[in-house]
Amino acid sequence: MTTTLSNETKRAIKKRKKWGSGEVKRHIAFFTMLIPGLVFMFCFNYMPMPAIVMAFQDYKLMMPPADSFVQNPFIYTLLNNDFVGFGNFSFLFTSRDTQIFLRNTICYNLAFMFIGLFFSVGLAIGVNELRQRFLAKLYHTILFLPYFLSWLIVTYLLYALICSNGVFNKIATALGRPTMNLYNQTSAWPLIFVIANIWRYTGNNSIIYLATITGFDQQLYEAAAIDGAGKFRQFQHITFPLLIPTIVLLQILAVGRIMNGDFDMFYCLPNGAGAIREATLTIDVYVYNALKSGAQLGYPAAAGLFQSVVGLIMVVTTNAIVRKVQPDMAMF
Amino acid sequence: MTTVAEVKKHAKKKYKDMNELSTAANTAWHVILIIGCLCCILPLWIVISASLTKNQALVINGYGFWPSEFSVDAYTFMFTGGASMGTAYKNTIIATVSGVILCTISVGLYAYPLSRSDFRYTQIFTFISFFTMLFNAGTVASYMVNTQILKLKDTMWALFLPMSFSAYWVIVMRTFYKSNVPESVIESARIDGAGEWRTFLQIVAPLAIPGFATVALFAAVGIWNNFMMCLLLNNDRTYWNLQYTLYSILKSIQFLREMASAGSGSGASVATTAVADLPSESFRMAMAVASMGPIILAYPFFQKFFMKGLTIGAVKG
Repeated sequence: MTTTLSNETKRAIKKRKKWGSGEVKRHIAFFTMLIPGLVFMFCFNYMPMPAIVMAFQDYKLMMPPADSFVQNPFIYTLLNNDFVGFGNFSFLFTSRDTQIFLRNTICYNLAFMFIGLFFSVGLAIGVNELRQRFLAKLYHTILFLPYFLSWLIVTYLLYALICSNGVFNKIATALGRPTMNLYNQTSAWPLIFVIANIWRYTGNNSIIYLATITGFDQQLYEAAAIDGAGKFRQFQHITFPLLIPTIVLLQILAVGRIMNGDFDMFYCLPNGAGAIREATLTIDVYVYNALKSGAQLGYPAAAGLFQSVVGLIMVVTTNAIVRKVQPDMAMF
Repeated sequence: MTTVAEVKKHAKKKYKDMNELSTAANTAWHVILIIGCLCCILPLWIVISASLTKNQALVINGYGFWPSEFSVDAYTFMFTGGASMGTAYKNTIIATVSGVILCTISVGLYAYPLSRSDFRYTQIFTFISFFTMLFNAGTVASYMVNTQILKLKDTMWALFLPMSFSAYWVIVMRTFYKSNVPESVIESARIDGAGEWRTFLQIVAPLAIPGFATVALFAAVGIWNNFMMCLLLNNDRTYWNLQYTLYSILKSIQFLREMASAGSGSGASVATTAVADLPSESFRMAMAVASMGPIILAYPFFQKFFMKGLTIGAVKG
């Protein structure tokens, strides 16, 4: 947030640079308040970061000898393993699996981003425009509900719909069509994932758009209406342009997650069906499977590092571009 | 005689009528949104109705909008059959409650100095938390640290500790303090001689209760619905949570067999008869209903906080 400060305030701030009376004491209190959060972040966010070197190692867990200074096997291994440079990465990028999971992860995320954007902006506008305010709120509340159901629950719901004697097959039979088993039909799954994703997240994503739209200056709409603009023209020339900063901000965040699959969704929804691996293998699923298979940990570590680095680069780049074009739309 | 104000009021009313949706468009939106709502509710309804169907009927007739043969066998089986469901419920509740307490305390405290304009290191500590949103070490590194250094494998801790703090909630909370706790109040507390901790506990915290509630609810839903941590870290059945139990039930009928033999006590013959007429399909659905039950029941009360929390988080700064 940028604010222009008057010279007087600037001078006042400069004056405060010296530690005033009681300020040291106050800062001690502040630091003690920060401690619990710092401990959490140290344990779960920062401590794993040095372990990234695993991605460059031929990683095999070793037992430290009794006279070793480091007695933790993990740390000992980390310090003593052979480095293979980018060997793990070059192995990763020549394997067939990698092509599949990269394609799947990126394509699914792009589809979720753009189709999801359409639905959530649409929902926000619909809820905002409806004349019956109570009903509008009720609809929105109902559409927000799926967000709170875990992917496991969604897996059960989906199972009841598409299993061999599920609702869809019953309807198909009633219409005289052959029943089908979607759990081994690869081509159906991209659509199922997109629908499931939209189903679960639209209500949630629309909240921010709705809040933004309700905050717009109503006089603009009044003026437009008086000039004879219909609802569609109003959307085209007022709502949409004003909504762009919000859309851009949320899309920057989404681009940063382009390498992150929704692990629970891709892992649970297919219900363990191996036949459709082509369609369900995303980077997180690959990492998990490699981790659990007990094979060389260097490969999943390399895949995970690749995922994080690409995510970081994407956010920083998109943000830099946005900052250049429209400084006040940038996230940081 | 009409005053200017009245004329204006009248004009405004007239404009409002003019700028309202036309009846046709309004109806169209209603239809679209009702279809959307049905898409959200019907699958839930199908699962609930399946859980109340007699298992044989469910296997023969398939899933439908209405139980073809009503029965509560699945629920009686669930509540009497073995300790697994009870364990899962107990673990999930303990994890959720502890996680929520830890999260509210740590996030509430971390965000407070960052919201204060007289804290000199706001930037660096904001960056420390923001960076965790931008970059993470990846699943493998976290897994190794969690198992080898923090020793979380097969413990209750695994179910909530890794999810108890998030930089996103820090942003929400900081924005909440900034917009709902006026600096002048803090200033006057200081003039009255209160230390920072006392100001926070006695003045700021009571004002920030809606913010705490939002963060607590975010954390509660996150921990209640968490699946991956249990999948990665807890192989020991004693520490399975609801989501993982749901997963394992969906995967294996083996689980039901074990539950049946555990539930019916001694005697192998009793166990086999129990297995023969296991309400497996409807039991699965009853499990799903049981695990989403608390969320759906509480949902009407907490969704308002969520909408608010999400809107607060969207304000950048």
